[in-house]
Amino acid sequence: MKRDGIVSLVLLAGIVSLYLSLGMMDDPQAVTFPRIIIIIMGILSALLLLQSVVFKQKNDSKGAGFPFGRFLICFFMIIIYFFLMEGIGFYLSAFLFFIAVTFILGIKDLTWRTGTFRVIIAFLFTGILFLLFKVLLVVQTPKGLFM
Amino acid sequence: MAEFLHYFPLALSFTNLLTLTLGVIGGLILGATPGLSPTMAVALLVPFTFHMDPATGLILLGAVYTATVAGGAISAILINIPGAPANIATLLDGHPMAQQGKSQTALYYCFISSLVGGLIGMVIMILFTPPLAKLALKFGPPEMFWIALFGISVMAGLSSGSILKGLLGGMFGLLISTIGYSPLLGSPRFVFHDVLTGGVAIVPALIGLFAIPQVFSLVETLGLKLERPDFEPEKGVLFKTIADNLKMVKSLSIGSIVGSIIGIIPGAGGQVAGLIAYDQAKKFSKKPESFGTGNPEGVVAAESANNAMVGPSLIPLLTLSIPGSPTAAVLLGGLLIHGLFPGPDLFTNHAEVTYTFIASLVLAQIAMCVFGIILSRYSYMVMSVPNLFMIAAVTVLAVYGTYSVQNSFDDVIVMFTLGTLMYIGRKFGFSPAPVVLGIILGPIAEDNYLKGKLIADTDVGVFSYFFTGSMNIIIILLCVASIGYSIYGEIRAYRKAKEAAV
Repeated sequence: MKRDGIVSLVLLAGIVSLYLSLGMMDDPQAVTFPRIIIIIMGILSALLLLQSVVFKQKNDSKGAGFPFGRFLICFFMIIIYFFLMEGIGFYLSAFLFFIAVTFILGIKDLTWRTGTFRVIIAFLFTGILFLLFKVLLVVQTPKGLFM
Repeated sequence: MAEFLHYFPLALSFTNLLTLTLGVIGGLILGATPGLSPTMAVALLVPFTFHMDPATGLILLGAVYTATVAGGAISAILINIPGAPANIATLLDGHPMAQQGKSQTALYYCFISSLVGGLIGMVIMILFTPPLAKLALKFGPPEMFWIALFGISVMAGLSSGSILKGLLGGMFGLLISTIGYSPLLGSPRFVFHDVLTGGVAIVPALIGLFAIPQVFSLVETLGLKLERPDFEPEKGVLFKTIADNLKMVKSLSIGSIVGSIIGIIPGAGGQVAGLIAYDQAKKFSKKPESFGTGNPEGVVAAESANNAMVGPSLIPLLTLSIPGSPTAAVLLGGLLIHGLFPGPDLFTNHAEVTYTFIASLVLAQIAMCVFGIILSRYSYMVMSVPNLFMIAAVTVLAVYGTYSVQNSFDDVIVMFTLGTLMYIGRKFGFSPAPVVLGIILGPIAEDNYLKGKLIADTDVGVFSYFFTGSMNIIIILLCVASIGYSIYGEIRAYRKAKEAAV
């Protein structure tokens, strides 16, 4: 089964679950519009499945060479950043996130010189954000333990 | 025209001019930065306009929109990578010029042609938008319902390689827009978790769908080294280039006319405009063989076309809520968060904001040319910004931009979830633009469907109410034509690929 075929099967499974969940909702009138959309999505997914069978796709190698490790590191760094932002505030967490991203993802090129440069850029970036949001636009930022 | 002239001085206030200047400079830099799409740049800015008055906020978005289209030519010319899809045709002759040591001349041609095309496009926009908005006055619930679906069908066909995937994206967007409480009946729908109680707001969706996939794409390409910019400063070429450029009347006319026509067609966008104009300029040229080898006429035709598209692409947006390009779809989100709904209301009740915005777009074209010429000398530096810094900066701005609208972490979670799903979706050929449009147009479609159904139930019945009447039939036929055209294009591409494989 080619990529589009698998995608359409996954979509059909999701669409069936969503359609069944409509029955659990209190007001049948309120789900009229979503029901129509889900039915149309079901038809489109079935057509995609049919298309993948009728029009033979080439085996592409898009999945090959995908840097899963880097992707997962970045994904989890962003999640940690969300929690940190609530805990220690916007500016400090932004500064730490900037340093973490540039040091961890760019570890191959890390030397004393590049490291110092990255810390300076992180400091300047956070400083500009502080000036822009706190001083110029006077908008609320997540506060946390610090600002 | 009289209203436009009446409100023009408002665009010249100190705050508005400062915003416009910053927007244009920022837009040129963002447009020139490979890896940052103009659509994402405008999406990231939308929440910041929330803290400004509507006119100033829209001026910022409009200035960035205008400048990113022209700024994208910088990376197209210097490193052979278009900063935006609209600049694909520019690199065909722009990069060979840079390789011949004429990068600065090529950049000057690009900004001057963009100005000429952009101004012509703006004139067309000013002339055609108010009368079309009056036409929208005649639309009732069924017409508005079909218009919303037409917008999604057009975007679905043009923004992704497969019409089925585009339509699935649009429907997914419509479904997301129904999360939360029903607008007319007040009952909860798909509230599987507390964070979804308030539904999915436009800003988290815009930022998530455009910025987060871009962050992950930058992570993917971290190891890649870009081509070194071909930039050699040239002295005393500015005035000669201006004179030469203005003599290229044929290329400028072809570009401006093609760009304006393509701009009005919803969904076609700058990429199509640039390529068609380039092709036509080549056909009408006395030396067609010189195209692709560094002929300035190629740059002039492509750049005048993609900027001529900017103004007219806003005509269907401001009158019927149908964006002419993915970036215009984001701009629609910017309008809606300020409580401005496309249609005649914009030109009557909100005339001051609307005409100030339109006037600022004219000024943005001029500012884009002036600052583009000034910055072109230093533009190669932008290309040296490491992806690492962009990953960190875009993530921080995306998170804060999302949080700032309602001071809500729930929005941040929604933004990141949608963004991660979109990144996976992109790997399978799905595009964010139809999803965004579905989320934006969903409430319009549902509201008008429910209103229409209520009226129809007491009158002629749902089928007659939605499927008869000349205007309904015209819009339905347009929907069918738009989907049919995309299917035809796909079949043709499939046959070509099959023939090439044999």
